[in-house]
Amino acid sequence: MKSKIKRFAFVSGATLFGIVLVLIFVFLGKQSSGPVSEVLNTLGNKVTDVEHDLLMKSREPVRSKELAWFNKYRNDTVLLRHPDTILLGVFDNNYQKGFDKILKLDKMLKEPLPLIQIYTAWGDKDNEQFPMLYAKAIYDLGSTPMITWEPWLSDFNREEHNLPPVVDPDKNGMAAVARGDYDFYIKAWAADVKTFGHEVFIRLGHEMNDPYRYPWGPQNNKPAQFVAAWRHVVNVFRKMNVRNVLWIWAPQPAYLHYKEYFPGKSYVDWVGVGVLNYGTVAPWSKWWTFKEIFGNFYDRLDTFQKPFMVTEMGSLTVGGNRRTWFKNAFTNLPKKYPHLKAILFFDDTSDNTTLNKSLNWSIVDDSATCKVIHVAIETTWKNRVEPVQNNGKKMVKK
Amino acid sequence: MLKRNRKNKDYWQFWEAKDVTSAGRFFFLILVIAGVISIVRFFDWWFRPEHVASIPLFVLLSLIIWYGIVRIVVIWINYLGIKKPERIEPEKGLKVAIFTTSSPGEPLSMFDKTLEACANITYPHTTYLLDDTQDARFKAMAKKHGAVWLELVGLPGAKAGKVNKALQMIEEDFVLILDPDHIPFPNFLDEVLGYFKDEKVGFVQVSQAYYNQYRSFTARGAAEQTYTFYGPTMMGMYGFGTSVAIGANCTFRKKALESIGGHGVGLAEDLITAIRLHAAGWKSVFRPVVVSRGLVPEDFGSFCKQQLKWSRGVFEVLFSEWPRLFKNLTGWQRLSYLAISTYYLVGVTTFLYVAIPFLYFWAGWLPANMDFGEFLVKGTPVVLVAVFIYLYVQRWMSHPPTERGLHWRGMILKFATWPVFFLGAMLAVVNAEIPYIPTAKKAVKGLSPYTRPLIFQVILFVLTLAYVIYDRLYVVSEGMLALTSQKVWGMFAFAFVAIIMVAGGIYAAYESRNLEPEEPWAKIDVQKIKTDKNEK
Repeated sequence: MKSKIKRFAFVSGATLFGIVLVLIFVFLGKQSSGPVSEVLNTLGNKVTDVEHDLLMKSREPVRSKELAWFNKYRNDTVLLRHPDTILLGVFDNNYQKGFDKILKLDKMLKEPLPLIQIYTAWGDKDNEQFPMLYAKAIYDLGSTPMITWEPWLSDFNREEHNLPPVVDPDKNGMAAVARGDYDFYIKAWAADVKTFGHEVFIRLGHEMNDPYRYPWGPQNNKPAQFVAAWRHVVNVFRKMNVRNVLWIWAPQPAYLHYKEYFPGKSYVDWVGVGVLNYGTVAPWSKWWTFKEIFGNFYDRLDTFQKPFMVTEMGSLTVGGNRRTWFKNAFTNLPKKYPHLKAILFFDDTSDNTTLNKSLNWSIVDDSATCKVIHVAIETTWKNRVEPVQNNGKKMVKK
Repeated sequence: MLKRNRKNKDYWQFWEAKDVTSAGRFFFLILVIAGVISIVRFFDWWFRPEHVASIPLFVLLSLIIWYGIVRIVVIWINYLGIKKPERIEPEKGLKVAIFTTSSPGEPLSMFDKTLEACANITYPHTTYLLDDTQDARFKAMAKKHGAVWLELVGLPGAKAGKVNKALQMIEEDFVLILDPDHIPFPNFLDEVLGYFKDEKVGFVQVSQAYYNQYRSFTARGAAEQTYTFYGPTMMGMYGFGTSVAIGANCTFRKKALESIGGHGVGLAEDLITAIRLHAAGWKSVFRPVVVSRGLVPEDFGSFCKQQLKWSRGVFEVLFSEWPRLFKNLTGWQRLSYLAISTYYLVGVTTFLYVAIPFLYFWAGWLPANMDFGEFLVKGTPVVLVAVFIYLYVQRWMSHPPTERGLHWRGMILKFATWPVFFLGAMLAVVNAEIPYIPTAKKAVKGLSPYTRPLIFQVILFVLTLAYVIYDRLYVVSEGMLALTSQKVWGMFAFAFVAIIMVAGGIYAAYESRNLEPEEPWAKIDVQKIKTDKNEK
């Protein structure tokens, strides 16, 4: 009996110490997870940089050469604030695997797209930091990154950052941002943007006036809180002398209350609008034209006196004719909407953010639609200062 | 009072492993529990659907990784049983024989030393030289040292054949089978014979130690690979009643050998003998003492030959002995022999490990989508605990002053011999024979043919590097470049680790080429071997 007790004590004692040892490992791992993953990230980026410097210098760039006309714009903040042409762009949901699909869309539309959009949420994870690797890759391809920066506040380790414990960090979250609670994150981002060193479009907290979408919306925050948060973020960047950002303020115009969310002319460079036609796929939707989604609000939004960017343009195919939809949208567009200066195709093949099913917005494989767009631009964009190459040859007409 | 001579690096000194204390085992159990928890966490992280890039390759990669981890866990379990037998003073008047064998080509001067040392063994015994050299000088040598010369020519089964024949010719009850390159210490028999008081004990094995490590990288690496086995590993096996006989330095009860129809025959004759004795109900004892020192292969070619012989032979135990004797073995013995007889599968897993980066570069196959940082975070505790345990159990080595360490040469050599293990495994699968190759006693000149696969691997690596640079300069789409950069060069880092190991193997082979032939035994003074006990 005694030896049994001894054995039991022996084993359970060792088990206890073993667990303690692992907890120490876990603790050390957690403590070091910040710096360690940072080091690994930096190391990974260094690998790309070294390859870029060693190998890629001797490689003939193709796309950036075709986009040479855009250099004038992308290296000039003033010109990017008031461009004299319409810049096209795209979001491709497969961008993390590579930009080949974007290169394909270039070919389909017969012009390389100067703007490439990516989405980043706020948080502690690696993919929630400034996407340096992608930004650099986009720049190397001759384009400028447009980053949609979504202030989800639930992805931070609150203890680690000494944030006050709350049930729902998104509740009154914008007030917390304005208070400076998240400055550790904003500052790191701003520093990275500065390191990147080229112009970046940032669409911060989009559709902030839609009460049914994002946590930074009216269900959690008052308009004044959003405005204060916005100004705070911009001021943090400015205080750190990070000047290479173009701020896109993007309300949802279908909800008519949005003016009170406008942070002020000196805090906004562009006004963004999403134009997605769900057709009859969603119960709350019907086949709406570009004019119905965007055009009817144009005059009201124009009062902000900023250039417009259609940050997400797309149409599904159920309930109408997609080709016609795009044709109508692009025909005579500069004449109809003289302050619309950028359009980004929403080329998402599996969008499940809105409905319970996956939606395919992509047009890259729809050659008829691509052709219609190209022809509409070619034939009706009389006002467009046509992108020309350095040697004066027209880019579009090849 | 015993002299404290912890720092004693003298090879010619009797040495005995430390006693196993409760505190030592308690601390070890802590480490094992920490290790198991770390492995469970790693397991939980590894098998996630988002990590699978290609199902067949992921299965393959998982098999490689988890085969390795399971083996580590098995060895930890084995260490849990670690036990050191109390020394038992032998009865007087036991009839003991020492067998040592000589074959054509073996240097005569070596037998001069071995037989002299045998004659020096204090416990009364008869030394037999089992000779098939048909060289009169060997007979004379036996006579010089008072050994009985037995001419055993033309027997099948090489060494074991001669042993079995000689067994029928002798009167003694106990037989020490000594490899001819091993120089026994005078107290050899005093340390082992006591255990035969237990009628059920069939054989007593002692540690194997070496004295020619200084000769080359290969020799040091080859010796390093054995230190843990002839200490904590075998002590654990003894604790679980499954310590095995190892070719040399094993003392058998003749009756036990007779009960299984004599010493086993084959490339792994020692292991075959051990499993048969265990199946016949005989007990075995492992005594962690250094009471002899012998030679370890000095040149890369001989080392590979020895490894090929073992890797081919050991699978024979898996295919023909293990299933046949399964029902007669205890649970621990089943596990132990299964683990030993599958040891050389490492040749197959290493081959796959080596192939993975090349499959990626040439066929575009990526096995897993894992974040390297996460892999490090989850994998590091497992590696840390494993290293810690590896170092911790070294306290139970037979001669820690000369054996402790990280054994990096051993690791390099083990990795670089993957083609040999792979060949051994393949030969076993198709049941093809390799000729009986005695382990070379003196260094052999020339670059071993076993380095060819290694050189091929290096060339393939360089070619692949050139191809990938060309590909990325001229072929890969602009849109893919930046985003594939980390993956591609990460894979290269992966392949490069293997190349470093393999380069170590090629170095060992290159060094072997310039090895001056020498007779390491010439310098040994048998009369100066010290048999006083070390501090426990």
